[in-house]
This record gives sequence, C-alpha cells and structure tokens, in this order.
Amino acid sequence: MIRNKPLLLVFRLVLGGLFVYAGVVKVVDPLGFAQDIRNYRLVGQAISFVAAVVLPWLEIVAGAFLIAGVWKRGAALVITGLLVFFIVLTLVTMARGLDVECGCFGSLSRKSGWGVVFEDLGMLALGLCVLSAPAALERTPAGKR
Amino acid sequence: MTEARRTLRQALALAALSVLVAAAVHLPLIKRFARGEFRETFFVQADYPGVRLITLAEAEELWRAGETTFLDARAADLYAEGHVPRARNVPAAAAKTFVPVLIRRLAHETPLVVYCEGGDCRSSLILARQLHDGGFKDIRVLGGGWEEWKKAGLPEETGDDQE
Repeated sequence: MIRNKPLLLVFRLVLGGLFVYAGVVKVVDPLGFAQDIRNYRLVGQAISFVAAVVLPWLEIVAGAFLIAGVWKRGAALVITGLLVFFIVLTLVTMARGLDVECGCFGSLSRKSGWGVVFEDLGMLALGLCVLSAPAALERTPAGKR
Repeated sequence: MTEARRTLRQALALAALSVLVAAAVHLPLIKRFARGEFRETFFVQADYPGVRLITLAEAEELWRAGETTFLDARAADLYAEGHVPRARNVPAAAAKTFVPVLIRRLAHETPLVVYCEGGDCRSSLILARQLHDGGFKDIRVLGGGWEEWKKAGLPEETGDDQE
C-alpha cells in the first residue's frame, strides 16, 4: 500500500489524464468507435451504439474527478473496473483469434494484443494504488502528519 | 457508512452522471438511432458525399480499365506480402503524412479505390474520410478488401511500395 501523498497525486494525474484523453478522442467520433466495438463481435449493433455513446463519457468523467481529487476513490473504482474489463476483453479477443483494432485511443488505435494488455495492466496498477490508499491519509489536514 | 460502500456509491453516481452527459451531448445522434438509423452499418453515406462502397466486381472492372488509382490502406508489411497490382500503399495510420502527398500529385477528380484487409476492417474508411476531407471527389471503398480480392484469385503483386 502506498502512503506517499505526492506519489499518489502523480498517479492520479497520469491515470486521470490518460482516461480523459482516451474519452475525448472517442467522443469526437462516436460512430467510428461504435464500429470498433462492433468489430469485437461480442455484442450487436444496438449495444455497440449505446456503449459508444456512454463509455467515452464514463472515461472522461471518472478521469476528470480523479484529477480533481473529488470522489477519487469512486473514480478510481470506475477506472480499475473498466481496465479489468478491457484486459479480459483483449484476452478473449486474442484467444478467439480476431484481428481487430483495439479502439483504445480513437480511430487510429493499434491492433488488440499483448501491448494493449501490458499497457492496461500498468494503468491498473496505478488505479489500485489510488484505490487502496488508506482513507485516513486523505483526511489528514495539510500540515498535520 | 463504511468506506467501501461510500466508494461504491461514488462510482455509481459517476456512472449515472456519465449517462446523463452522454445523453445530452449525443441527443441528435440518439434521435437518429431511435428513428432506425445505424441498424445495419455505422457508415453514414450522407456524411461522405464522394465516398461509395463498391463490390468486388466493380473494383475488378475499374482495375482492368486502368484509369483508377488503387490505394492499399494496410500497414507496409501486409502490403509487401501481397496487394492489388499497381496499388499504392497509404497506411491509414500514417494518412496524415501520405494524404497531402497524394493531394499534390493527383487531380482531385482522380477516381480512387481504397481497400484494407477485409471483413470488418476500418482503415479503408478512415483513409477514405481523410481523402474526402482533403478534397478528393470520387472515392470508392472496396468493402470486402484484400481478403475478397485474393480469394477470388485476381492478380496479385508482392513487395514494398517503391515510391
């Protein structure tokens, strides 16, 4: 468990920033992202559409709250949940032998593969650090240790 | 309230907020979906006036006529393994570099056929969009892509794009 407050702040800014960025590039092209989701061949046209509309905003909102430090545990929970989902999705896709673009960072994303899994695992580690930081640490007023 | 419950409630509230923002921002798109659009494809013809999806037979005819420039939107290594003869390699991922070159070299009226791997590949559409935005007026996308061309036993060429 990491108790170093400046380090936790850096983790929050990096992870939140990545999520806001990933969300923004998808928000500008919802139909393109919908096609990316459809290409995973797990859900139909309607669910792909709904996910493409909501998911980018979930990334932006959770990322922004994490950066702002408001409801940071809730935001970290959303982000770690999403990352676990992305990792499972990528592994399942690889196991099925599908050659799809991951859709992670908008229209020019890489192919779904080990690179994506390792990247997600790295982000997951940051998210878990934020999520597991002792609550007492957060509430300690500045200057008192 | 325990810490875990508080965290869970925050996460649910964030999810609800995201749904609200998404619904507000994408309301026009959601209305179009409710009216029955996007049930077959997410490609919207009206958004790309010069872009048309074509079949393999049409692509073959254009290729044999020899007046159309074929563009392979796949990565360079896939292009080198096999591509439509005379097709130029314009990887969609590097379209920002290649499209301005094409704009300088080709007249905007030049008919273009763009293809990628096939099936559900999206890079041909990404490239078609950039070409359309760059001013090209006649862009056709071979939906079946390289897979379909190869399966039909049509002529192939291997090696890197020399230009």
